[in-house]
Amino acid sequence: MIEPDIDEASDLDTPWKVVVWNDPVNLFDYVIWVLMELFGHSKDKASKLTHQIHHEGRAIVTDGPREQAEVDCFRLHRQGLWATLEQ
Amino acid sequence: MMEIFARERTGIRVRLPKGLARFLSDVPGVLATVGLDADDPAAPRMNVPVYLDDPGSNAEYWRWTASDLDGGRRDDRSIFVRVVESAGAPKGIVVSEDEAAALLRVLAETRLVLAARMGIEVESDYEQMDEAQSEVLDLLAHLQLLLINELSA
Repeated sequence: MIEPDIDEASDLDTPWKVVVWNDPVNLFDYVIWVLMELFGHSKDKASKLTHQIHHEGRAIVTDGPREQAEVDCFRLHRQGLWATLEQ
Repeated sequence: MMEIFARERTGIRVRLPKGLARFLSDVPGVLATVGLDADDPAAPRMNVPVYLDDPGSNAEYWRWTASDLDGGRRDDRSIFVRVVESAGAPKGIVVSEDEAAALLRVLAETRLVLAARMGIEVESDYEQMDEAQSEVLDLLAHLQLLLINELSA
């Protein structure tokens, strides 16, 4: 009998995190505007995430299935933000 | 004093003083040079690794997205050129929100490219910039903030 590969199954289920990294060039207000525009975050949430990016060096701005996370990453790159993916 | 961006019922009016229009008309040419020189520090900043621990997935990601990203940036620059050419007229030009967002992306891209070429990697690098470099980045930042204000109004 074939046993299911639990680790592989859980890897597939684990959402991918879209991370935005701090950079010294993009403006605070611009990052807030981008997060509101792309993800529909409230101004309060977008501001908190932007503060986190600035002070902690990075923040997870959204997550989801890999395909969606890649689309979101692409949209962030279009705006000039430094975005990566991780699980 | 001339209002550079002003929200109206049908969109956002853009009016540029002649000197500013001339300065901005050079922007697309600067952006078109990204990556032409193999040592251009702006190129890696505009095409960052996405999967930090997985070069294979990273290469795959960029294989699928690079041309769309470049195409989108070219489209933004075309809008930018058209707006800057018309915005020097006394009444300027009214742009849609989508066009204004394209202008904003070009301004952001320009700051990123110039800053990378000026060697700015961390906040403290700003202290080593000369006055002319600082003025250019500040001017572009000022335009970004004005436009964000109108887009958010």
